[in-house]
Formats: sequence, structure tokens, C-alpha cells
Amino acid sequence: MKSSLFKDSRDVFLDIVDTKDYIELDRMSSIYESLLDSITKPLKMILLYGKPGTGKSMFLSKLHLALSQKQTSLLYSTPILDESEFFKSIARDLYKISYNGELNFTQFIKVVKSQNIDEKLVPIILLDEAQLYSTALMENIRLLSDTRKVKFIIALHKTEKEDIIAKEHFQTRIWESIQLENSSKAELKIYIQKKLLKANCFDTANIFTQKSVNLIHKLTDGNYRDTNKLLYTTFEIYLYYAKNEPKKIHKTRVLDKIIEMAAIHTGLIDA
Amino acid sequence: MLNIKDLEQRHMKYKIKSYIPYFIIIFILGTLSIIAFNIFTTKVKIQKQPIIQKEIIKIKKVAIDTNITKKEPRKIQKKQEKQKVIIKKIILKPSLDFMRRVNTPVDAYSNEKKINKKKMREKEIIQEVIVEPVIPKKEKYIEETQEIKSIKIKRNKNKEDISEVIKRFKKNDNPALSLFIAKKYYQAGNYHKSYNYALITNQINRNIESSWIIFAKSLMKLNKKKMAIDTLKKYINDSNSNRAKILLDEIQSGKFK
Repeated sequence: MKSSLFKDSRDVFLDIVDTKDYIELDRMSSIYESLLDSITKPLKMILLYGKPGTGKSMFLSKLHLALSQKQTSLLYSTPILDESEFFKSIARDLYKISYNGELNFTQFIKVVKSQNIDEKLVPIILLDEAQLYSTALMENIRLLSDTRKVKFIIALHKTEKEDIIAKEHFQTRIWESIQLENSSKAELKIYIQKKLLKANCFDTANIFTQKSVNLIHKLTDGNYRDTNKLLYTTFEIYLYYAKNEPKKIHKTRVLDKIIEMAAIHTGLIDA
Repeated sequence: MLNIKDLEQRHMKYKIKSYIPYFIIIFILGTLSIIAFNIFTTKVKIQKQPIIQKEIIKIKKVAIDTNITKKEPRKIQKKQEKQKVIIKKIILKPSLDFMRRVNTPVDAYSNEKKINKKKMREKEIIQEVIVEPVIPKKEKYIEETQEIKSIKIKRNKNKEDISEVIKRFKKNDNPALSLFIAKKYYQAGNYHKSYNYALITNQINRNIESSWIIFAKSLMKLNKKKMAIDTLKKYINDSNSNRAKILLDEIQSGKFK
């Protein structure tokens, strides 16, 4: 196998959120469909939660791409922690109104309420990493959603703290909560192979046997982010061996040793 | 850029670490199995030892019972519980308790001689043995002895037996041994040798009655009746031995066989 193939394979697993890299998995597809269905309902907020690396950001990006084709949709991948800046950003992006000075919640809610919006095409704001927002801002977001002039889809990590936030601010108003989980072994194999096949890395896609995938699953617990990191490093090592010590790599299957070396490098194995 | 060599070394350490628990488990299991094996083997040894002791006791028991049978079979039969034990093929073993026999009186010896002759002729002897009443301490062993219907006692040949004693006699000149040898040769019908060893015994110790008796008997068997009578008379004069007198009477009356 050529070293360029390992380079391409390595780059497939770069940890970036790009909707082009979204991999359709059965479970994710069904969740995606149910989310789309929830959006059409007269719900104020939708909570999307899960452990880090379960694909929430990718999911939001995918959703944003789909929604923006038929209605107004805003995606804030990075939290805007300043309250005034947060309202000003929404006013600018949603209503095309720019404010030079401070914009407080009272002023902003008046703007929101003054909008005439079709109930079926309520603008949707997608907030990633919502666990970073302050409690006060989360309370304001809730009040904004109560106007029914804007709808929020909030993605946050499922930790103890985030559970409290979810309980305190959204328990009575949510409406829909969807949990994203790590992949199963079978899903992980499909994920890896589909990702490689999408980049035309057919040879490297075939070297991942179920045994190799089981080892990867054991190391990453099926977490997509960890899997990406692990496989990126794995192909980095492959690239080195292909250039310097080609005898050390196997053409038909990925060696456990190389996966373990990658796991040591990425910190998945404490050695 | 990855430092692959460093990664390989770290991976090697990781693999060694990951195998350590297995090595420990194997080591522990191996140690436990060795300990278990040792315990098992020692138990087996302990179990085997009493069996050997029991067998020895059984043989001794039979020997004691035989003596009782010879002495007072009828009285004991009436008094004690009767149990028949058939002993097939009694081939007497090299018993080094010959010292006990040496000390037995000539009468007992002559009776024994007759019995032994019979034993020599017959390969299989069926004997009735009366077992003593159960002694509390040896209860278990006696019960086991009763269960055994036949006991085989192997015995070396007389020649081997005597030669061993002759060797010992040459080392220490013990008159008890020379007397034993004389008796054995007499039993075996080798009267020249029995004469010689009785003579040697008399030279070592002139006061052993049995030795003089054997000496006289050997002379009789060697057709030296006059010499036998003279010898007995001299001995009677010196010792006033009743057994010598009885033998002299038997010889003179022609009852000696």
C-alpha cells in the first residue's frame, strides 16, 4: 500500500465538524428523523444531550444544514457568554437589526415580540455547548422561547451539572429531550468503514476486521471523538512504517500493536 | 511527528505490565497445585503406614496363636471362642527371633522338630488356629485378622538361614548362635555338622544343657551310641541334668529314634 493512502486515511479522522463528513448510521438516522419531527411540533425547546464525543455538534450541524433550506435557522457552535452580546447577535442574525450599544433582555424581548412570524416557520436557534451558558442567561433563553416567536434547540454535555441545569430550567418547558450515546461495536465498524470509503480509501477500509474494531471499541468505549483521535494516530504510525519500516505493517489487517501504540500516544492507554 | 521508537518502547512496557497479572495467577495456581500435591502425597504415605503395621501385627498374632494351639489346644478350645483360620502354604520366613527358640526346652524343641518335619514334607498345611479373646487395644487389628481366611508366610530356605547365622557366629563366637546352628543342622539331617557345632558350643561354654543333648543325639545319628552314652554319663555326673538323664534312658532302652 502506498504511503499516500495512509495519509488520506489519516486525514479522514481529523476531529473537525463538517457536515460533509456526517456518517449515516441507522440509530443516528432514526434520532435525526425524530428530531425533525419534533421541530414541526409546537414545542418551545428541544434538548439534545449526551457525553462528549457522541456526535452532538455534528448532529446540530447536520440539522442546521437541513433546516436552513426551508426556514430561518441559526447555529451558535461557540457559546456567547455575554448576555448583551448574545441578544445583539441574535437580533443581527435573525432580524437584521444592529445595535451599537448595550442590548438588555427587556429591550430584546420587545423586539422579539414585535415580529410577525408564521407559526409553522418559527426561526430556530441551535445552541451548542449550552452547559457553558450562565444560569441567568439560560433563564432568559427560556423566557424567549415562551414568546413562541423563536424556538431553541440546545445541545449540552450530559454530566451531573448539566442534569441540574436541565432540571431547573427546562423540566417544565421541555418538550423534547433526545439523548445521544456512544456507538455499539457494529455501529463503530460501519462508522469507520463508511468514513474511509467516503474518502475512497478502500484498501484501508478493508483492513479493519471485527477483531480490530472490538479492540478500538474497548479502548474508546464507542466514543466517536476518541475513535477519530485514535485512528488518526493509527494512520500516522502506519504512515511512518510505510515510509521507514514497511515490513512492520500488514496488508490485510490492522495490527493490534499499532492500535495500542496509538492508544498510548492519545492517552487512551495509560502506559 | 510521532516518536515511534519511544512509542514502541512504551508499548513493550505496557504489554509486559498487562501480562503480569496472568503470570501472577499462573504462579499462584502452580504453587497451590504443588502444595496440594504434596499434601495429597503425604496423606497417602500416612494412610499406607498403618496398613504395614497392621500386617505385621497380623503375622505376629498368628505366630502367638500357633504356640497356644500346640501347648493346650483342647483346653483353650473349650474355654475360648473358636475361630478357624485356614493357613495355606506356611513357608516359614527367616525369623530372627530364633533367640527365643534357642531358649526353649529340649522337649519343646523335639516337639517342634516333629512338626517342622511334617511341614517340610507337606507344602500345604491346614491348621486350626484358635484366636485369643479380643484384646481391647488391638481390637481393630484382631477383627481384621479374623477377616483374613488365609495367610501366606514366605520363608527363606534353611541353608540361607543358617549361613547368615554362621557368618554372625564367626564374628562374635556366641555359643547361642553355634547352638542354633547345631540344632538347625540336626533338623536338616546333617548330623556331622550338628555334631561339630554342638562340640564347638561345648568348648565355648560347657554348661549349656541343650548343646550336650544335641551333641549326644548327633552321635546317635552317626551310629556312635557308645560315645553318646559316655558323653551323657559324664555330663550327668557334672551337671545332674534331668533332660540328659531322660535322653540316656531313651538311648539305653532303645526308644531313641
